Amino acid sequence: MPLSKQALTKFLHISEILYLFLVLLLFYLLFLSRTGEARTVWEVLHPAFIPTLFIASSLLLTILFTSEKTAHKLLLIIAHSVLVHSLFSIIFPAGDLSGQQMVLGRIRLVYDNAVLHGWFPWTVETVPSLFYEWFKGQSFQAALSVVLSRMLSIDIFWVHLFLIPVLWGFFTPIAAFLVTKTLGGNDKAAVLSSLLLLVFPYLTYFGAISVPNSLGFIFLFYSVCFMLKNLDSNDYKNTLLMWSFSVLSFLSHSLTGIMSFSLLFLAMVYKSYRSEKGTSPATAKISLAISFLFCASLLPLSLVYLRFFAPVLYTFFTLDRFYTLPAEEIVGLFFLGELIYGFDLKTILLIMIGPLLALLYAIYLLYKFRRNPTAKYRAQISFLFVTYLIILIDYRILKLFMADLPFNEERLWVIDEFLASPFVALAIYSATSSLKKLLKTTSQQTMSIISRSSLSWRRVLRIGGLLFTLNILTPMILGGWISYSLHAAYPQVAPLQTIWYELEAVKYIEENTKEKYVVIGDVWTIYAGEVIVGVNNPRAYYFLEFDKTGHDLFVNMSRDPSSQWLLSALNRTNTSVAYFIITEPRLGTQEFDNILSKAMRAHLQTYVPPGGFGNGKLYVFRYDKAKTSRQENPLTETNTYARA
Amino acid sequence: MDLFQLDKLEKLIVHDYKLLFTLSSYVLILAIYMNLSTFQFSVLGIVASLLYFLINGIFLGHAFFEKEEAFFRLMLGFLLLIMLLGFVGWFAVIIYNLDVVRFTLVLFVVATICSLINRKVKHKNAT
Repeated sequence: MPLSKQALTKFLHISEILYLFLVLLLFYLLFLSRTGEARTVWEVLHPAFIPTLFIASSLLLTILFTSEKTAHKLLLIIAHSVLVHSLFSIIFPAGDLSGQQMVLGRIRLVYDNAVLHGWFPWTVETVPSLFYEWFKGQSFQAALSVVLSRMLSIDIFWVHLFLIPVLWGFFTPIAAFLVTKTLGGNDKAAVLSSLLLLVFPYLTYFGAISVPNSLGFIFLFYSVCFMLKNLDSNDYKNTLLMWSFSVLSFLSHSLTGIMSFSLLFLAMVYKSYRSEKGTSPATAKISLAISFLFCASLLPLSLVYLRFFAPVLYTFFTLDRFYTLPAEEIVGLFFLGELIYGFDLKTILLIMIGPLLALLYAIYLLYKFRRNPTAKYRAQISFLFVTYLIILIDYRILKLFMADLPFNEERLWVIDEFLASPFVALAIYSATSSLKKLLKTTSQQTMSIISRSSLSWRRVLRIGGLLFTLNILTPMILGGWISYSLHAAYPQVAPLQTIWYELEAVKYIEENTKEKYVVIGDVWTIYAGEVIVGVNNPRAYYFLEFDKTGHDLFVNMSRDPSSQWLLSALNRTNTSVAYFIITEPRLGTQEFDNILSKAMRAHLQTYVPPGGFGNGKLYVFRYDKAKTSRQENPLTETNTYARA
Repeated sequence: MDLFQLDKLEKLIVHDYKLLFTLSSYVLILAIYMNLSTFQFSVLGIVASLLYFLINGIFLGHAFFEKEEAFFRLMLGFLLLIMLLGFVGWFAVIIYNLDVVRFTLVLFVVATICSLINRKVKHKNAT
């Protein structure tokens, strides 16, 4: 027997080395897929990536079911998790378009010390608005990113790009592990739940983009974890930690903050309910029911009253959808939400199957415990189930009864999916344990197969089937689920991501302009500009993404490319040099050529390095206030391209 | 985690004999500051930051998660340290800004808090 144990350990180590090799290969494939011009990751992802991911995931699942140390298993899961969440950051030159770039645009200002006398640079009208700016989430993420960037002496661009994929990859599997442990799962079920986070598309997507909401989710998950621990313990550390994580969750994003505090309140009431139900059960039950209603309504009500802090927000309750939408659409929205719009059946199944399985298993567990109120972990399972219900209810309220929300209500799915992962893991682990028990009862027959003793074909098939299901089919199905979920997690349709020569142009302008300058461009140019210099930076001014003045200036320049609009931009922004950028893939060839020829006729000075940007697909025009006439610049060459 | 001898290292750091590791943290902060204001070598920054994280993460992990396994103590200690850095940094941002000097102050404040927490828990356990 010791020899066979040694052989197993050796086999396990070989599997781990093979797995690590596969992970390295997957990272290499991601680097090979890196591109400067694409819309989605699917256009450029190496064809070997998904099959290799499937093999690596299946192998990892096989390792998880062995007796390897939990810490080692979690380290492997962390590597897997960081990989799966890094697709945007590695493949695209500036990460996913828009959201995270907008955040970086504001963080840049803190990094470049353009923000003085407190956050935020533009004037704040009222005291509540000031509080809103402080607690808006960007402030906290800005501080964290800038601190890490300065510590590591790495540009904020890279720190921001990988902040969430790395933090999420490291810490959410551990949060899922701890939550599953508090629900009574053993180490194997708990590590399974850590890995199964990857089958949930919304979790994968939010772990791949560096936005304050994602940071808030991480803290929310930990606050839920310590709430569960606190239900059965009076340790002040658990109380302190659940409060700390809730506060941090609130500092990161209003959605996660409000949810954290509503769940925190529920956890405290639930704890007092458990201590009071023996003495006055009716009062305890009524107080619990009222608290449940309060917690479920806290998020919708808070969103309405956010206008007190930020007048630009105007969320309100409405029944408009019931008057305007057909009944079948209302029913569809109620059950599936946004998924009814343009998602295929496979995607809907991928998104729904996990939460549905979790809901069914949670109901089964509660049913099992119904006659045993003192059962261990019953309180934690009940609390998590109630939390799950609150999310389901809040999502329906936000979806059907509210309008003008400050964020997309689909984000609640992220919390839903996190809460689902422990239940899914427990369900799968329970199923595999049952199969193992069945196999144990036939252990004598199993040995007979190995020793090639005579057995009936029926028994051989049964035992062989069990062995195949446990050791090959289960890891393959789960591995396939993880790999296939990526299709739903990373968008299949998207606008053209920031192009490499857009970044090159804004870097070139930044490096070669000594004076204060302003750039007029479309929203895509602004996204590229803000990741390099930020938005509203007084030294290198890019208008805010949806600023009307900036938009109007670009439209006017496109219609009539002349120095008057550039001069107008200079005067508005108190800068000395103005640039105007046009990009062919954004405008279309005809429009691009049209603007280019008009600009040439108006004698606007082009500002391009030798060879141009993107082989002439991007043009930069420069206007210098001090030198109104055209002149040569040693850093640039004035080109009259054949196309123009 | 016997593979990395984490337990022994943790004991050594948590013991913080004559504030050796607290002072090491301060030296690392000085190194990070010097690097940031003069050399700007990423390698130096990464090494110094990793050591800073290791010392202070272990302080926090041991103080708050004593009953957990060494791996979880370390990871959760890192998470608490990140939270603390973010929180103190956020405070600096909303008050004024986060330039190099204030950033260094943030590191100093966080290291001091971690050391104080460690000492408090150590004394509590000793009594």
